[in-house]
Amino acid sequence: MNRGYYWLVIALSIPAFIWLVPTLWMVSLSFQPNDVLARTTSSTAFGLVPLPFTADNYAALFTFGQTPWWFLNSLIVSLGMTLGVLAVSTTAGYALARLDFPFKRTILVICLVGLMVPEQAVFIPLYTMFADLGWHNSYHALILPRMAVPIGVFLMLQFFRAIPQDIEEAARLDGVGWLRIFWYILLPLARPAMMTLAILTFLYAWNDYLWPLVSAQQREYYTITLGLASIQSNFAQSEGLGRVMASGVIASLPVVILFLIFQRYVVQAMTAGGSKG
Amino acid sequence: MRQGRKSYLSQQQSAWLLLAPFLVTYALFLVYPFFRGIWISLHDWNLLAVAFNPDAKDFIGLRNYERVMWGRNIEWGFAAPLLQGLGLIGLAFTAFLHRTNRLSRFNTIALGVVSLLLVVLPGFHPGEGGRWYDRRFWPTVGNTVLFVGLTVPGVTISALLLAAGMNRETRAMGILRTLFFLSQVLSVTVVTLIWQIMFSPRQGLIANITEVMGGTPINWLTDQQFAMAAIVIATVWWSLGIAMILFLAGLQDISSEIYEAAALDNARGARAFWYITLPNLRRTITLVVVLQIILHFQVFGQSHLMTQGGPNDTTQVLVRYIYQTGFRDSELGRASAMAVFLFVIMGAFSVIQFIIGREKDE
Repeated sequence: MNRGYYWLVIALSIPAFIWLVPTLWMVSLSFQPNDVLARTTSSTAFGLVPLPFTADNYAALFTFGQTPWWFLNSLIVSLGMTLGVLAVSTTAGYALARLDFPFKRTILVICLVGLMVPEQAVFIPLYTMFADLGWHNSYHALILPRMAVPIGVFLMLQFFRAIPQDIEEAARLDGVGWLRIFWYILLPLARPAMMTLAILTFLYAWNDYLWPLVSAQQREYYTITLGLASIQSNFAQSEGLGRVMASGVIASLPVVILFLIFQRYVVQAMTAGGSKG
Repeated sequence: MRQGRKSYLSQQQSAWLLLAPFLVTYALFLVYPFFRGIWISLHDWNLLAVAFNPDAKDFIGLRNYERVMWGRNIEWGFAAPLLQGLGLIGLAFTAFLHRTNRLSRFNTIALGVVSLLLVVLPGFHPGEGGRWYDRRFWPTVGNTVLFVGLTVPGVTISALLLAAGMNRETRAMGILRTLFFLSQVLSVTVVTLIWQIMFSPRQGLIANITEVMGGTPINWLTDQQFAMAAIVIATVWWSLGIAMILFLAGLQDISSEIYEAAALDNARGARAFWYITLPNLRRTITLVVVLQIILHFQVFGQSHLMTQGGPNDTTQVLVRYIYQTGFRDSELGRASAMAVFLFVIMGAFSVIQFIIGREKDE
């Protein structure tokens, strides 16, 4: 630790603060009264300090408006999707990594090709398909498409491959079946990988915009991400800037908390998700 | 575990049983829609008409592709001298670098292909009395490429510099990394909400600061000159984190001995960055660039929510055009043809990404 290091920290703090300003501003505006915001957004220190202060915007969110309902939808969809993805990915990942069966290579290649298909390339046929089934405006319509994305399978497959073979050989000698080996021995070992996958999926589900936009047309089935998009286009007139910003804060709260608590896993999950699909 | 139970599923049966849930969802919600998308793109398929009467679709072969990408009397020539000249210079430059052996094979091919595309693609233009069947498609693709071309270098360069500065395991650096990464976990609608108001000429923080400094606020989102810049700024702010983390991981692999040896030769700071960090990070840089291209080519929310594709279509991007063609104009066939086009481009970059990933494992 020399003087150069301290200068470096100070030099980097400036861009870091600039990076924080937009988020800080949103939080600060959400704590200011709407009638003040209608006149000026830079009351104290360019509006970065919430003075005059009020918590009315948050109280209003919970008494009128659909934000709490959308929040609940997001929670249901995100948790459902996370559980679903975990279930299909751990089982398939285990089978592909540690069991022998015909056409294994073929299946691997077919799944690998699926990594290349972006959501944007299939959302139209998915829309018509779900419309034919009458599935739109439901939770399963929002959850199911993501369960087909093979990235989770590959994450789990890589993890299971790295576990030494002798672990299940001992169990095999005792006559334990493959399914129990999976359930009682390998699954408990896979907790860190499952955690990464769970966070990756939850973040994706919470933040996804395009598919909910086409699938959920009734406001009762909006996720918070979609709901926020629907109120921001006319924010100033109808709801008041402070209240819209409060919705933004509420919409970000779960992912930010998740990030601050499980920072290591979140970073791992996002880089894994980024570098593989 | 229950003991003494002798009969259990064979290895093969267990495998299929465990694979079944994934394979079923995969086949139903990814493989089938993918082929169905191609099928739709071969039809004159109106969303509303087909919803009322499933037979109201005509098979028209590749007509949709023609309607989207082609036109009447399309000719090829030096219609865009600037871009095409740039491509020619690129080709000459590639040949020169290849001759003098300064580039890896992969980079030579990449640079060569990009230059060639720059020469060929802008050359197409409608001849006398001709016109594009869809006047908005290629400009939209151009906007998307411009968006990628501005965002990717912006993210890559700033993330690289920040990562190089923060490559130390100390508490302060940890906090700084957290601050830079925080915006990455926000959803696109929160990002656009923040930046729409940040850029607002009347209420925006940027306008407020410009006014105090004596300038005239810019109408960022409705001014043709600045709208694209505005969504690029918001995107760089949003997606810097992953690139930074990938660079930090790459930096961990460079041993500190190299830096110590270089320090003896008086190579510190900027010189060490230029002569040691950059060459050793080449592969990571390529990977980050390809990843960002794939990610940002699919841009939708920023354009849809911040500028609604405007002003005057300057920020209209491919995915938003697909969305509008499909769900506002109900032209699912044409929208699907564009989606297939998007998939082909994404697929090409995914293959490149896959090849780079493979090199790393070997």
